[in-house]
Amino acid sequence: MIVAEVIRSTSPLAAVSAAQTVTAAEPDYLSPVEIKFAPDGRRLYIVCEGTDSLLALDPATRRVVARARVGNRPKDVAISPDGKTLYVSNEWSDTVSEIAAASFELRRTLKTGWGPVGLVTDRAGTTLFVANSIGNNVSVIDLRSGKETKRLMTERCPHYVALSRDGKHVYVSNLLPHLGPYDEPPVSELLAINADSQTVAERVFIPGVIELRRIAEAPASIGSYLLVPFMRPKNLGPLIRVGQGWVVTHGMAILRPARAADTRTTVSQVLLDDIDRYYAGTCGAAFTPSGQFALVTASEANSVAIINTARLAARLRQVPAEELPNRLDSAGAFVVRRLPTGHDPRSVVVSPEGRFAYIANRLDDTLTVINLSELKVADTVDLGGPTQITQLRRGQRLFHDARYCFQGQFACSTCHPNEHVDGLAWNLETPQLGRDRVDNRTLRGIKDTAPFKWSGRNPDLQTQCGPRIAKFLFRSEGFNPQELEDLVAYINSIPLPPNRHLAPNGELTDAQERGKRIFFREATNDGREIPFNNRCYVCHPPDSHYAMLAGADVGAANKYDTIKAFDVPQLDRVYESAPYLHNGEALGLEEIWTIFNNADTHGVTSDMRKEQLNDLIEFLKTL
Amino acid sequence: MAATKLLTRLAMGIPVLLMVTAPAAGQRPPLYTRWENFTVQNGMPDEKVFCAAADGDRVWAGTENGFVLIENGRVARVYQPKDGLVNRVVMSIAVDPRTGDLWIGTFGGLSRFSGGQFKNYTNLTSGLLNDVIYGVAMQDQFVWVATTAGVSRLNTDTGEWTNWSEYNAPFHEPWAYGVAPAPNQQKVYAAVWGGGLCEYDLERKVWRPHTDPDEEMEMVLFRNQGLIHIIVSNVAYDPSAQMVWASTYFGLSGYDGRDWHNYLTKDSGLASDFINAPKARRGEVWACTDKGLSYLNYKTNTWVTYRPSKQGGQGEIEVTWPEGKKSKFHTATSLAHNYILNMDFQGEDVWVATARGLSHGIRELQKEALLYAAKQTGQRHGHSYCALAQADREKSH
Repeated sequence: MIVAEVIRSTSPLAAVSAAQTVTAAEPDYLSPVEIKFAPDGRRLYIVCEGTDSLLALDPATRRVVARARVGNRPKDVAISPDGKTLYVSNEWSDTVSEIAAASFELRRTLKTGWGPVGLVTDRAGTTLFVANSIGNNVSVIDLRSGKETKRLMTERCPHYVALSRDGKHVYVSNLLPHLGPYDEPPVSELLAINADSQTVAERVFIPGVIELRRIAEAPASIGSYLLVPFMRPKNLGPLIRVGQGWVVTHGMAILRPARAADTRTTVSQVLLDDIDRYYAGTCGAAFTPSGQFALVTASEANSVAIINTARLAARLRQVPAEELPNRLDSAGAFVVRRLPTGHDPRSVVVSPEGRFAYIANRLDDTLTVINLSELKVADTVDLGGPTQITQLRRGQRLFHDARYCFQGQFACSTCHPNEHVDGLAWNLETPQLGRDRVDNRTLRGIKDTAPFKWSGRNPDLQTQCGPRIAKFLFRSEGFNPQELEDLVAYINSIPLPPNRHLAPNGELTDAQERGKRIFFREATNDGREIPFNNRCYVCHPPDSHYAMLAGADVGAANKYDTIKAFDVPQLDRVYESAPYLHNGEALGLEEIWTIFNNADTHGVTSDMRKEQLNDLIEFLKTL
Repeated sequence: MAATKLLTRLAMGIPVLLMVTAPAAGQRPPLYTRWENFTVQNGMPDEKVFCAAADGDRVWAGTENGFVLIENGRVARVYQPKDGLVNRVVMSIAVDPRTGDLWIGTFGGLSRFSGGQFKNYTNLTSGLLNDVIYGVAMQDQFVWVATTAGVSRLNTDTGEWTNWSEYNAPFHEPWAYGVAPAPNQQKVYAAVWGGGLCEYDLERKVWRPHTDPDEEMEMVLFRNQGLIHIIVSNVAYDPSAQMVWASTYFGLSGYDGRDWHNYLTKDSGLASDFINAPKARRGEVWACTDKGLSYLNYKTNTWVTYRPSKQGGQGEIEVTWPEGKKSKFHTATSLAHNYILNMDFQGEDVWVATARGLSHGIRELQKEALLYAAKQTGQRHGHSYCALAQADREKSH
């Protein structure tokens, strides 16, 4: 028995099995993701996505004084202008919990769109704007009636929301870039909403970046510009250049909103990395009340940068705007301090009087307190989460830690934000540089979907995340065996989110039913038999995540590909993981067949009417 | 006294217009006595204007070479494919009042213009049925699109496309030329060229076609017993009267849910049976024809037709009274062209898309009153009118 155990534990597959057999329940880690100060500064509200709760902390005593249970996977909290009401977005419940600040009791549950995350009230406190990350829109909710009045379309995965200081605009940043040609640099978008008319005022394009994060507005004394952290990927060049640095950089966009009619917001970009050290996961942002400093967290570098804003302004003046996004010598000019935090620092807020900054360390269940007079870490506040650090928690920390990559350029989560896709095609390690560009795939629900990699060459996650990552991506030593086990265990545990296109009772709509018949059809519209190997359900069988766990040649290879058969991707939540095909050339599900299936090699679709293709797509969205 | 002398002098040589007994003031149709035109001479990218859409103080107009923003009395901006528009031929523009977005139907797909940026939808890249679009309309969060292969609808909240064609709807032919929501009826109407007027019930989710009962292409055998002709070029809905209007190439049809009201040139004030589009509100309907723009107050059966006069530069207003008699007025300015493609309302003003430019029709109440007064009192006030017309001409020069 013991011998068998030893043998099992040394085999990579056995290690996976052992890791997956978690006999004890996972502790309830708080996982604080967002913190906000009450207007009077007497309370700090902390959103804990791990325990579906909202905490209230007394900053004077630094003790938790209240807790409220909210919906599933809360992500953000908005505070009414009078401070009396709190609104918490529940990403997996598609709701907002309205909590009375004094009693911390739930008053109402408001319905939103799909995947509510960032939210903010207007200045009057009568309207709530909620970014729906799955629905790709913003819910506008009348707080008097509690009803949604409309939705404003956004680009992919809107996440963070902020109200301008003058109350005139609501800003929404998007985590994922526009869907665009796979061989062109990405473009991201910041949406400006007119808060009075509740209509779209401006869509600001920010070229070359993805993962726009929290939006901080500078005080009026220094110009009221917006600061939005981002990541700049060089995904079009071969990733072997990681060893030379500069492949994935991190910084912030400085936006000066349009003030007059017929003018547009101007955008500058500046990096926070150093030439030989990168600070991945730029995430939270805040200004001190005087405007002297800005703070930006690096969630994958477990640190926070303190920026002298006057020096930042000087840098922006000195270097031409078109040069600045690629200059790695900027940070030295204006970053006055980098301080260590806990694991995965996310949100940062500054106390109203400006004495302290507080940072939520999501994977530590702590807050880091910064003394802003001395620019030093003053305290670490334990929020009372479990003290035991389990394998999954360790794996989660590894997933979000960039130190395993050469010069700390990126972590797993850099290219898989929220354990998902970044919407890009990458030029990974290939024998022939510039060839075999591959679409980034989701990590949600991939347990039991081996092999991995578009070529299908990696039989398990140990191979995928072990030597491959170390040699070809991180260009470093990578993870040790125990760390690799922890990481694999964590990746295997990443769940799929709820499917928004499927009714809660599982009943299909008429269009979805028609689509299902098309998916399982065996003959064309005019009765010709479809060859067995070209039927949808053969390569995408329903009993294995709609993937046959092997490779197939569907005629999707282009002239830059050195192979023709690709690992059949699973179709779970396929509606969330655009673009499609192995190289991300198909920007939407339609294009898989309207543009890239002229020879009917990826299923027979040339006989279909447009309505039938639409129905098929409606069915695929239910998977 | 001095004014009378002036008017007498000015009256010399100016044609005297027809005069008939005018009805009471309450039955007088509104008159548009001044036209301002936007042509290629003053900023339009193309002379053919296919549509106009009022948006508060602004007006958008689609042409064969992009679309324009008219603001502060001038062409403020032109948008073309180089700016991101999906195709240069802009057939229809719908303003979403909830979001401020524009939805633009072109011959190469659908564009959304929002916050200064374009996002495009084609039948290859989305669930849109066909790229050749004739009409676009908003109904809550839904974008309805009339295409040459049927009707598409986008749910902007969920991203779901729904399509109807001859395969799953009673469209005799698939070419949808226009679409008009009827919110207080919970219906949407589609103009289907060769398929008639099709009515979609939003609650029951079924289509009901209205076709020509006599099935005759060139004759009207059963007047007012159904749609006047199956070649329907466009559709409009009047929510106040709960009337839907269908323009055809062989007359105008109105339907109140029970009775049909059909009009032909031979026995009405309609400028032409060849109608490109209707527009309706407040118990009135406008017909955009190939021979001018006709207005009908269908309750009083009073028509007004606007067209450029054969005397260069002037405009002509022809009123057809309920009893059949006609009045003609001349204005110093006129529509840009008699071939009218579409129009929209902006308050009391109208914006008219013609084959040679965009025309802004302005209602001048004082002049309108003078015109009617002139009609009422005959020659003497006819001189007054003539003076007014002369003053207008001098002003426009």
